[in-house]
Amino acid sequence: MSLQRIAVLVSDGKNPVSGEARHCRNDSLALQVGLNLVPDLTVLHAGNADNPALQDYLALGASHIDVVPTNGDMVESLAAQLQNVDLILTGTRAENGEDSGLLPYLLAAKLNLPLVAGALEITQSGNHLEILQFLPKGQRRRVRVKLPAVVVVHPLAAVELCHVHARQILGNITAHPATNSAVHHTPWRIDTPRKPIKLKAPLVQTGHERLMAAITSKNKGGTVVNDGNCVEKAQVILNFLREHRLINY
Amino acid sequence: MSRVNPMRPQQTTSSGLKRMVLQANVKPEEAHAPKPIRSPAKPKTRVLVIAHSDRGALDDHARQALAAAAILADAETTVTVLVLGELHENLSSAGADEVMVLPELDFQQFQPDVELASLLAVIKSMQPMRIFMPDNLIGDGDLGRRLIAHSQLTTATQVVEIDTKHVASYQAGCSVLAVCNLPEIVLLAANAVDTDLPFSAKATHVDAVELNHASGEYQDLGLQTSSAAEIALEEADFIVSAGNGVQNLSTLETLALQLDAAIGASRVVVDDGKLPRDKQIGATGKTVSATSYLAIGISGAVQHLQGIKDCRHVIAINRDSSAPIIKRADLSVIGDAEDIMQALIGEIAKAKGANA
Ligand SMILES: Cc1cc2nc3c(=O)[nH]c(=O)nc-3n(C[C@H](O)[C@H](O)[C@H](O)COP(=O)(O)OP(=O)(O)OC[C@H]3O[C@@H](n4cnc5c(N)ncnc54)[C@H](O)[C@@H]3O)c2cc1C
Repeated sequence: MSLQRIAVLVSDGKNPVSGEARHCRNDSLALQVGLNLVPDLTVLHAGNADNPALQDYLALGASHIDVVPTNGDMVESLAAQLQNVDLILTGTRAENGEDSGLLPYLLAAKLNLPLVAGALEITQSGNHLEILQFLPKGQRRRVRVKLPAVVVVHPLAAVELCHVHARQILGNITAHPATNSAVHHTPWRIDTPRKPIKLKAPLVQTGHERLMAAITSKNKGGTVVNDGNCVEKAQVILNFLREHRLINY
Repeated sequence: MSRVNPMRPQQTTSSGLKRMVLQANVKPEEAHAPKPIRSPAKPKTRVLVIAHSDRGALDDHARQALAAAAILADAETTVTVLVLGELHENLSSAGADEVMVLPELDFQQFQPDVELASLLAVIKSMQPMRIFMPDNLIGDGDLGRRLIAHSQLTTATQVVEIDTKHVASYQAGCSVLAVCNLPEIVLLAANAVDTDLPFSAKATHVDAVELNHASGEYQDLGLQTSSAAEIALEEADFIVSAGNGVQNLSTLETLALQLDAAIGASRVVVDDGKLPRDKQIGATGKTVSATSYLAIGISGAVQHLQGIKDCRHVIAINRDSSAPIIKRADLSVIGDAEDIMQALIGEIAKAKGANA
């Protein structure tokens, strides 16, 4: 099997300062990763076809964008458009809506496809994909996944975005007929802007304890090694590293 | 405001200055006063905390998820933690009533199908009322979302605020704070919970479940670790950092090479032009989250400490036992930086030689 139909899901982003509609960078990276695999992609957006953000995706390489409406179940209407697709690419996290990063997972579960998140590079080998996956602390992992699959592209994917105005003029957008954009079944309400409150265990203290807490500072620091010569002190450091499995010699 | 006890013991330094002695005012029995046990005698319900371990220990983020579960649990609720990967530490101070370990499901192995199937088996047998997971990048965020997609439960991801009734998370490009009732699956963002608990728990071990077989859709082709010098400071796992107390930077570079660590610096060193600006750690430099941070000749000014607040193990080498970094460090070695670095280089070479 070869990679014939690749679908990229794009969402509309917005400028964090001015709030102006624009492409979502994470999704544009997914688009570019797809373009590097095959020249012609299915680009899918759930939302409004008049959204100026979609013009950006045309300029960034999508020749055609299919727009599905979001009234009803978004996963349902996207899944309906994504039958017989070899590879579905998405960005890591949207810039609007719930931002939960759940959509690709729900879609993969709905279509019963395997999913790999955090993809930095994708290469095809037969009916598998080889993916370089991002892990924190400078680690990377190579994994192989069977096609068809859903792949979530990581924001650090090393592809270059190229904005071409001619493509924006040539490209076109199709709005599909209908079949609140809630992703999952959790009802959210918008709260007044404020700082989140950290959860702390309630502390029941006697008056004396509270007094002592106020006049003595808490014993926070760790072990202090004052004695011994340099070699002994170096040994203490090495033992500490060994004890916490930070070195393996 | 906390007041400083004027009767604190003092020490006279070599230059004749009077300096307060840190930590000398805590009586040993006070420091070790046992905390009351929270674990319920007659449990009725159960909450489940799921997290991957890293090098045999739960990291701060995972402990926050565990603390959230323990704080929110009532007197009849058991907090069970399912550790994916090896575990070499006791979780009683972290608030775990029961601990189940699945050592084969290490985060470095890519086997989401096995993990999800095993998780569903555990959930089926335990019937938890609620599930808490850290929303991190070492696999828990991924696994949690897979679990959500396979369940019909109410959920919230990237939760920045939680209490007994509701959770909150940032939405629409971090522009609004949205709240909902406390859902059944909670993926917690980092630092939403204080891990200081006024109680401890029993942390009894429960037998692990059988692992499910792989579906064959995924295959792990192995890890690629790049040397510490190649990766960005923010991503580094081990950082050796130079301060004004380091006279000889080449010794520090040798040490960093030996430990396979990235090099960082305090602002003074960077301002002196000894290291480039992108090595500066602190409020006006980079914020790092290394597992081990070796601060050599760094006094630990607040601006510097801000940059290392996410580091797990901080080790300080300093001549001055009253420097602020000593308060932050988990291990402090008092002495001359150059001498200790040289000794450390020698000892590491010896240890590596003995191992080879
Ligand atoms: C607005 C603002 C922003 C700032 N932002 C940052 C920032 O982002 N990052 C940052 O790092 N700083 C920042 N600073 C500067 C910060 O306040 C400190 O001045 C700086 O961190 C001190 O660096 P240091 O610890 O290396 O040097 P010093 O304060 O000079 O400390 C040197 C330490 O080395 C020890 N020492 C000396 N000789 C030896 C020896 N032979 N062996 C062992 N130990 C020895 C001394 O005991 C001392 O503790 C900022 C300051 C301001 C005002």
